[in-house]
Amino acid sequence: MGTTTEINTDTIQSILKQNRKQIKLGLAMCAHCSLCAESCFLFVSNDNDPEYMPSYKFINSIGKLYRKKGKVSKQALEEMRDLVFEKCVLCTRCYCPFGIDIPSLITLGRNVCRSQGLFREYDR
Amino acid sequence: MNMTIFSNTVFLDFIKGPMVWLSFIIFGLGLIVQTIRLLKLTRIKEARRFAPDAAIVPQTDLSKWERFTRYFAFLRITVLGANACLVLVSFIFHVCLVITPIFVLGHNVLLDTSFGISLVSFPEQISDILTKFVIAGGLLFFMRRLFLRRVRMISTVNDFILLFVAVAPFLTGFLAYHHIFNYNIMIVLHILCGELMLMLIPFSKFFHMVFFFISRFMIVSEHSLGSPKRSWQY
Repeated sequence: MGTTTEINTDTIQSILKQNRKQIKLGLAMCAHCSLCAESCFLFVSNDNDPEYMPSYKFINSIGKLYRKKGKVSKQALEEMRDLVFEKCVLCTRCYCPFGIDIPSLITLGRNVCRSQGLFREYDR
Repeated sequence: MNMTIFSNTVFLDFIKGPMVWLSFIIFGLGLIVQTIRLLKLTRIKEARRFAPDAAIVPQTDLSKWERFTRYFAFLRITVLGANACLVLVSFIFHVCLVITPIFVLGHNVLLDTSFGISLVSFPEQISDILTKFVIAGGLLFFMRRLFLRRVRMISTVNDFILLFVAVAPFLTGFLAYHHIFNYNIMIVLHILCGELMLMLIPFSKFFHMVFFFISRFMIVSEHSLGSPKRSWQY
């Protein structure tokens, strides 16, 4: 599979450090209003499942990594992989009333997952 | 209730005098500093195009009706089309939240007695209605946070606290104005809540009052308003 069993916290931390300002601003300004929900076609086509909400996806991937300073377990990172790879196709159609660039934050989540050998499994 | 902190003259003089100055200074300076910090994260960039070239899709050939339907179709996919009711409630809530404290009669009387200047005041009945809108809006947002799964899933304790801080000055002002419960206690709480809210604005999620305008009117993006020229440079 080519996946590593250990989490390299240093790599995660360097990605977080490089994009600290963007992540911090996005997290600080998200008013948790949920108005972005309907702009996600996956949210609408999955019976309005809140886990597909754009804000939920970035808060629980890159947001969680930022708050925990990159110190997450393999299992937690696998859950994030499902969020950013399986539950988002990066169509960049999500709409935030405040203009937070949600797709680029989800992309950062993907970067972190990819750096740890976690990516979309097409054969699943 | 006579010997409580609410009737302590030293405490009352402090929150009615130096504390008001302090909160306005923190509010003003905080806003300036935080806005500069935010603007430092942006740069003027060459304009990016998000719509096809006018030569390819000639807009002028469209009839008025076609333009209207196109615009309507565009609105339908925006947040206005998906959540019209919530957008309306949110708009009324925010407008009332900002204008009521500025134009309420009581505040202008205080300004007049202190500095001899005052702004135009709303009739008291109007202020009363606007205050009720804020309280009702706050209640609705609270209910959404509690009972709507998608909002509850991303809500934190901080969100509830800030919602309470935002509505508290209006609630206490309303109770004081109508002399519900003890007037003296309510007015002290009203002053304290107002000062707390002012001081928190630049340093909390309340800062979206500035961030919104910078992010939507000054940053180029697909959904930007006006004609922005800047982009993020994190």
